[in-house]
Amino acid sequence: MIHTPETDKAFKKQIKESLDKDFMRKTLNTFSVAYRQSRANAFAELDLDGLRNDVACMKDEGIPHLSELFDAFKKNAEAAGTVIHVARDADEANRIIAEIAKENNVKSIVKSKSMTAEETFLNDHLEKDGYEVVETDLGEWIIQMRHEGPSHMVMPAIHLSRYQVGELFSGVTARKQDPEDIEGLVKVARKELRPKFINADMGVSGGNFAIADTGAIGLVTNEGNARLTTTLPRVHVALMGFDKLVPDMAAAMKILKILPRNATGQALTSYVTWIKGTNECATGPSGRKVQHIVFLDNGRLELAKDPIFAEALRCIRCGACANVCPIYRMVGGHTFGHVYIGAIGLILTPFFHGKEKAREIVKCCLNCQSCKSVCPSKIDLPYLIKNVYAKVQDEDGKKPFKTRMTSMLLKNRRLFHAALKTASKIQGPATEGPYIRHLPTFLMGEHNFRRLPAIADRSLRDDWKKVKPKVTKPALKVALFGGCAGDFIYPEHGKAFARLCEAYNIAVDYPMDQTCCGLPTMMMAQMDTAKEIAAQNVKAFHAGNYDYIVTLCASCGSHIKENFPKLLTTKGAVPADVQAMADKLIDFSSFMNDVVKVKAEDFMNLGRKVTYHYPCHLVRGLDVTEAPMALLEKAGVNFTECDESQVCCGFSGSFSVDFPMISKNMLAHKLDNVEATQATTLVTDCPGCVLQLKGGIKARGMNVTVKHMAEVLLEEKK
Amino acid sequence: MSQGEILESMKAGAEKVAAVVAPAASLDEAITYAVNLTAEEGGTTMAAPGMEGEAREALASACAEKGIVLLESPLRAHMTGIHTAFTWADRGIADTGTLVLNSDSEELRLATMLSETHVAVLPTDKVVPDMDALEGYMSDHFKKGAGYVAFITGPSRTADIERILTIGVHGPERLHILLADLADGGDK
Repeated sequence: MIHTPETDKAFKKQIKESLDKDFMRKTLNTFSVAYRQSRANAFAELDLDGLRNDVACMKDEGIPHLSELFDAFKKNAEAAGTVIHVARDADEANRIIAEIAKENNVKSIVKSKSMTAEETFLNDHLEKDGYEVVETDLGEWIIQMRHEGPSHMVMPAIHLSRYQVGELFSGVTARKQDPEDIEGLVKVARKELRPKFINADMGVSGGNFAIADTGAIGLVTNEGNARLTTTLPRVHVALMGFDKLVPDMAAAMKILKILPRNATGQALTSYVTWIKGTNECATGPSGRKVQHIVFLDNGRLELAKDPIFAEALRCIRCGACANVCPIYRMVGGHTFGHVYIGAIGLILTPFFHGKEKAREIVKCCLNCQSCKSVCPSKIDLPYLIKNVYAKVQDEDGKKPFKTRMTSMLLKNRRLFHAALKTASKIQGPATEGPYIRHLPTFLMGEHNFRRLPAIADRSLRDDWKKVKPKVTKPALKVALFGGCAGDFIYPEHGKAFARLCEAYNIAVDYPMDQTCCGLPTMMMAQMDTAKEIAAQNVKAFHAGNYDYIVTLCASCGSHIKENFPKLLTTKGAVPADVQAMADKLIDFSSFMNDVVKVKAEDFMNLGRKVTYHYPCHLVRGLDVTEAPMALLEKAGVNFTECDESQVCCGFSGSFSVDFPMISKNMLAHKLDNVEATQATTLVTDCPGCVLQLKGGIKARGMNVTVKHMAEVLLEEKK
Repeated sequence: MSQGEILESMKAGAEKVAAVVAPAASLDEAITYAVNLTAEEGGTTMAAPGMEGEAREALASACAEKGIVLLESPLRAHMTGIHTAFTWADRGIADTGTLVLNSDSEELRLATMLSETHVAVLPTDKVVPDMDALEGYMSDHFKKGAGYVAFITGPSRTADIERILTIGVHGPERLHILLADLADGGDK
């Protein structure tokens, strides 16, 4: 049924096969672009951030008290005739439901969509026990007949074309169905499933809410099948996770306001069904329905106590984390997840389905922050994914050689920097200008989609004494956080910054004890190393008493601002020096625009044709979108925005080395969009993006220059 | 928000999701609308659970004139043959164009779920601006024993095949909302 690769080789093979699925890729591309617009429209008149905060807070208040919420729910629902069960794991849930079927002399079962039932593989269990089980949600019915799992939480059959559905339905009806007539295909489901509803003895549903203070549940659907499933058969069983418990109707409504809008851009689904107790049912015993609700634990109650992972229980199953994920968009849900797909799937899989199913998929995250930026309950999905990766490696008790080496090297700044210096010396014969010489294709293999930069002869720190701005009575005193790429590959970015600061009378320090920000170690899930390095950096910058700590690397910046406090929290509190570093940290563009307040008259107008790439960690990590646009306007360039300017370029550090096939496709997409603008200069705010974009442009032979914003401003400066 | 603005919002919200909204000045007008619509669609049956007394008599004679059968309880005997469901809505949620139906009655559920066309009379004084204003109604409804409430926003829909929006999967294919300014509050 669901085959999730458990080895690196199998996973990469599956990724490559997915990349060849042209129909799916085209569909997911269109969807990804359309979704952004429909979501924006759906929230146009609402305070989206306020709603997200409300949901996150409400969930956070409930998570430590799931057992109390359950007790209240049970009392209220039982008073209305419902039988309540608790299933410790998937198997117990399936057995309980099969037992209910047996007790009630059930033969046929209709089901409305339930991710929790997918989680427990309920259908397999019931079918093995001899029951006829029919999924009635159109998408679920399609994949049930194809023996597949859902490839999206909300749109389970999004990977399939009308032709595949047409062929399937021709088989079902024993009559040729016209695949171009989608309405006709939908009517096949209406016609074929109506008798199933009418004849079913038992209906199984999931549930979006279990409302503790009343004992009612809520179901959010579009097709109307959940209404039929809960009305026509004489027995109704709802299977729900403990995480669906909410205190009251107000809490359920908070979720309801955001769930359909965030899932599909609908203000509300066609149906929201609220059910409590044993309702009227002519075919039930004494005219009432038999109702059972099974609450599934399956690791949730343990998860609720976990200081890091409890946040995952805030999930309201909207599926948006997949909608915006550049990897999901490329490989689809059958590759990017197990039963639960997308970012939340990567996190939940080890807890619900074991580490074997999570081992490979959890590596496949760019940390581009797209999922986090749309999560309706503000789950820090990328951070949790890295923590899951760490957990899986710890439990496996082995870490890849490369990971161990990197970790060892990065912990020791002197050793690391000495190694880089040595590398810059010995790479000589292998370089070609600022790039590593092109190796024969058989050596480059899948990595030949971009040219890699050489390490600079002299790093920024080597030259800092000369570079440091010479100012007297400075207006501001700042420190520069260089980052590895800024220090050792592109020292020209930092030098441009220094010249600009000199012009604006700003003193700049480069604390020599600073080292790699540690993000690469977190990407490899070396959380202990990441903590150690973070602490080294905090110490390096603590003494200076700077007004600001400026970085030209959006990735370092967002890691310092957001992850340092998380990584270095001790006894539930963030130490003052850590918070101070996070607070003082600012990205280059915001610093120049919002703090220095450069003016249009400071710049010449060279008239170059420019487009801009938003680094993930600038736009989503640091929440900066306006400053770069304002600077380009002030600099007087001829700017054209490229399509999908905020989508990841595919670099993501070691990700692009581990998953070159994905990185390559993302880069190609990015460069196609850049090419369409006919810009001759591509500007960005992160040396990692510069590396990826320059490398791709060189490999493609495009006539476009890639510049850091600092270089552009300096060149345009009068 | 004035009641006029709320009703405008209700109309706009419902039309956005492919519901048809029309005014009805009296119960008779609503009955005429439902019966004519059924006849135009070629329907021959109607279910109007919960409608009793004089209202039912008026509906029965209007149906008879057009050769439409007004189905009798229990509707389980007619599950494959309900063309129109004619019902009262208990509340309207303006900003999403949603009808709220107290569906404790199984007959009402069967009619609104299995019919091809659903015509719902919505008394104008029962329309609230948004979901927040409905919290009290919902909490009260479920504080008592068993219960079933339906929020209905437009006709049944799916986008499960190639994300193409298609109307009418398992529920009614058409939803008509009759905004009724009834002096008696439109109680059933």
